[in-house]
Amino acid sequence: MRSFRQFKYLTVATAAAAAFSVSVQAETLRLLTWGGYAPQDVVEQFEKETGIEVKITLSNNEDMISKLRATRGSGFDLAQPSQDRIVSAQADFDIYKPMDMSKIETAQIIPSMLAATEKNTQFEGEVYGVPHVWGTSGLIVNRKAAGTIKDYTDLCDDSLSGSVSYRLKRPTLIGFAFALGEDPFAAYGDTEKYQAILDKVEKKLTECKPNVKAYWSGGDALLNLMRSGEVSAAMAWDAGGWKLNAENPDIAFVAPSSGALGWIDTFVLPRKTKAEEAAYKWINFVMQPEVAARITESAGNFTAAKGSDEFVNDTLKAQFKESFPQADLDNINWYPPVPAGLEEMEGKVLDRVKAAN
Amino acid sequence: MSGEPGNVNRTQYRLGFWLLLAPIVLWLSLLIILPHIDMVLVSLRERIASRQYGFSLSNYTAFFTEPLYWNTFVRTAVMSVIATLLTLIIAFPVSFYIAKVLTGRPKIALFILCLIPFWVSELVRTYGWMILLRETGLISGALQWFGLADQPVEMLYNDVAIMVGLIYTSMLFMVVPLVTTLDSLDNSLIEAGYDLGGSSLHVMKSIVIPHAMPGIMSGCIVVFMLTLGNYLTPTLLGGKDSLWFTEQIYTQFITRFNWEQGAAFGILLLVLSSLIVWLGLKITKQSFTRVMS
Amino acid sequence: MTDQAFASGVDAEVQEDLACALLSKHFGEFAAVDGVSFSIPRGAFFSILGPSGCGKTTLLRMLAGFQQPDSGDILIKGSSVLHTPPNKRPVNMVFQHLALFPTMSVAQNIAYGLKRKGVPKREHASLIDEVLAKVQLPGYGDKRIDQLSGGQKQRVAIARCLVLNPAVLLLDEPLGALDLKLREQMKIELKRLQREFNTTFVYITHDQSEAMVMSDQVAVMNKGRFEQVGTPQELYYQPKTAFVASFVGDSNQYAGTVQAQSGQVVTIVTEHGVRLLSYGSQPMPSGSPVTLFIRPEVMQISTSQPVTEQDNCLKVTILRMLFDGAHSQVQVETAERVVLTVALPQTADFQALEAGRSVYVSWQASQCLCFPVSPEPAEAAQ
Repeated sequence: MRSFRQFKYLTVATAAAAAFSVSVQAETLRLLTWGGYAPQDVVEQFEKETGIEVKITLSNNEDMISKLRATRGSGFDLAQPSQDRIVSAQADFDIYKPMDMSKIETAQIIPSMLAATEKNTQFEGEVYGVPHVWGTSGLIVNRKAAGTIKDYTDLCDDSLSGSVSYRLKRPTLIGFAFALGEDPFAAYGDTEKYQAILDKVEKKLTECKPNVKAYWSGGDALLNLMRSGEVSAAMAWDAGGWKLNAENPDIAFVAPSSGALGWIDTFVLPRKTKAEEAAYKWINFVMQPEVAARITESAGNFTAAKGSDEFVNDTLKAQFKESFPQADLDNINWYPPVPAGLEEMEGKVLDRVKAAN
Repeated sequence: MSGEPGNVNRTQYRLGFWLLLAPIVLWLSLLIILPHIDMVLVSLRERIASRQYGFSLSNYTAFFTEPLYWNTFVRTAVMSVIATLLTLIIAFPVSFYIAKVLTGRPKIALFILCLIPFWVSELVRTYGWMILLRETGLISGALQWFGLADQPVEMLYNDVAIMVGLIYTSMLFMVVPLVTTLDSLDNSLIEAGYDLGGSSLHVMKSIVIPHAMPGIMSGCIVVFMLTLGNYLTPTLLGGKDSLWFTEQIYTQFITRFNWEQGAAFGILLLVLSSLIVWLGLKITKQSFTRVMS
Repeated sequence: MTDQAFASGVDAEVQEDLACALLSKHFGEFAAVDGVSFSIPRGAFFSILGPSGCGKTTLLRMLAGFQQPDSGDILIKGSSVLHTPPNKRPVNMVFQHLALFPTMSVAQNIAYGLKRKGVPKREHASLIDEVLAKVQLPGYGDKRIDQLSGGQKQRVAIARCLVLNPAVLLLDEPLGALDLKLREQMKIELKRLQREFNTTFVYITHDQSEAMVMSDQVAVMNKGRFEQVGTPQELYYQPKTAFVASFVGDSNQYAGTVQAQSGQVVTIVTEHGVRLLSYGSQPMPSGSPVTLFIRPEVMQISTSQPVTEQDNCLKVTILRMLFDGAHSQVQVETAERVVLTVALPQTADFQALEAGRSVYVSWQASQCLCFPVSPEPAEAAQ
């Protein structure tokens, strides 16, 4: 009996110690984000200034939603999905928590972007997202090998057999739809029309398959394919193009004539966030112009922080100017929120394209 | 009073028995059985509207009515069977050499040589193959250097590359059971086979292979299951045409958020692969208990 | 028999199933088989007897073809088989652990060789039934190997070989794994089978009793060489070397030096001056050390000094009685503290003997043998 009582005390003591240590370590911010969005020096400065420890998990849109779905919105304190993927995920899986805009220093954020995000991330009257990094998808072209590429559909040109790459994901479907002269965003509300557009895109992508070297899935894999010259044109993110451009001037990011696809990655609170205050602190911290410029350097994309451009180096600015003359900038197609159900239709198309010979 | 110590002992014994059994019971129930029950339940749901689900078999009917899914599974199964057979054909002579021809140090050395690739992760191994096979890779470069090819040769992203990767990944799981069973084959049986007039072919066919059959089958089962359930190798080496069933499951779970369909595919994969293994055992007239012991 | 066995002249060649000439096999520096020659007449039961490591297994494996000799030749029915692989040699082997194929039934085990030999399939059943009847296992064809007892496995292993009518059947200590009773039965059974099939058997063993009971001819092998080849009787009564004398049958050994030799009779003096008479077949200079071999059964034991003249007579003390029915023996100690084992005749006279009592042992010179002591007895052989 005696040893059992001792054991009981020991257990209680251990549990108490564990609980205490948890409360001490409560100032941890578990951040679910994209590569480059939380560079080491920014994290260190934040930790020094606030005493909050930052734990980073790198991810992508689908993975973020899947992770939070599996845990029903716990396990992370702050996430960064794209603004168009928030509402449908919230509607289906209830994984986010509304943002308290009064705690955000909105003066630091470009008003037009803040407004657009506010509009696009509203669900049942509550706002869920705050804009952070924005960028586009377009074409990365090796001008020596494929100088004629102007639009997504040019990737299917016979001269590029076996030297093209793109993702087998929804941005490709959207991009090709625009290049085929359709407006998929306008058809978001009309399932039948959207299906018709998808059928057209499916046909094109199936025809285009012999041109494809590989469907890329990780950004680094694509960069390697472009670097080695195995792929001479690809549909990809602007930041990757600029990175390659810095290494090899022949490679450049080109805004397609039907319009680059514009995306905004946001800050969102998972439903069971345990460090809400720390999350707001982080948002306000990284939106300072000087800090935001450092994130731009690391991620390769510009942020929604007002005035941060001044702190960004000239190369990136020049690359941006070259890729986006004013006309192309105006021509960007910004993703509206995806209505629930569309992704299933898109999924079937992607499956069939993958299986086609 | 006299009966008591015995009772106490028995209780203690029983308690000890359950305590010893507890880890495996917990392991099985928490990590294997419960998740599978949950998978079955999830697979029988259908999304009606946001946050609303109802009972449905549509996820299963989708597998049989949508030729894409069915074809992907058949392709995966056929490729896995071929990969298993090729692995067996390559591993058998190697195993025989290790078990019966070599002795002492060279034997251990060759065995370890078969083992070394498994000291690195599957991802690294697969990237190794990609470095070798890609258009700007080693083999392509060597072919050009020797003048056997006048332009870069792409050897990645096709079924042969998948096959090579799968066989390489599976080799050890075939070699180990084969070496073990062949080691247990008395050399005098082989000698007796020759002594009674058998040629090498006869000895192989009527003595060595029947003896090694349990090892062959257990190796084949393990390799087949590993290949069928492999995700990395077909995806990375197969590229745009990989079409592997596990990839389909991954896509349903992760990029489509369609857990219901993914779960149904998972259950179907389990059932159909078990069926194929059962068929294999039936055809070769082996019993599962004997193969696995 | 001896002369016939060694008559390796051209005229006798037809009569020989197996002959070896100067066969040698070395493993590195070690000579496992060292210049062995012999020939075996048709239908003989020939045993090779020797301690473990003497090279008998290597010799057998060379005959079967599993090992290639370094030099020498092997002739089967008069033609060399050096370049014939094991599966083409007209010899078959019963392995030490029998090596029955466990994945096959008894009938399949027997049919294996028939198939390889190209015997038409329709003849298999009758051949199998016939050979199973001969080894007294009728109707056992469908049994699995693991359903058989040790003795039955033995018979199947023999049947599997004999059904192929080999010129020579090689047996590699096949009785080793059996228990004593069964071994005694199988000895007789093997002899019977050999007579019945009239096949030449070459049997290797380290058990002298197996060799003696079954064989027509026994070769005693030591350190890669044949020490002596002869009938069991010759080996027992006329051993040619010290090794054979000590290895075949039981012997008491008595050390001494030669004092004189006249004809076959050698006079030996022991360390303590006891004078003994013995037969010796080879010339031995006086003063050279020798070992005297006396079999337990040739010594007469008596409670009083024998009245008749004896070549050798020692007064000894009984150490202990070793009762074993008909094989009972008594251990005695001489004045020189040499321990001798003497067979105890089954008569009432000796039942009263007990430890500590003084008795006399005596034997004739012609009943014991002496051999010169050499550091390497094997080198002195033959």
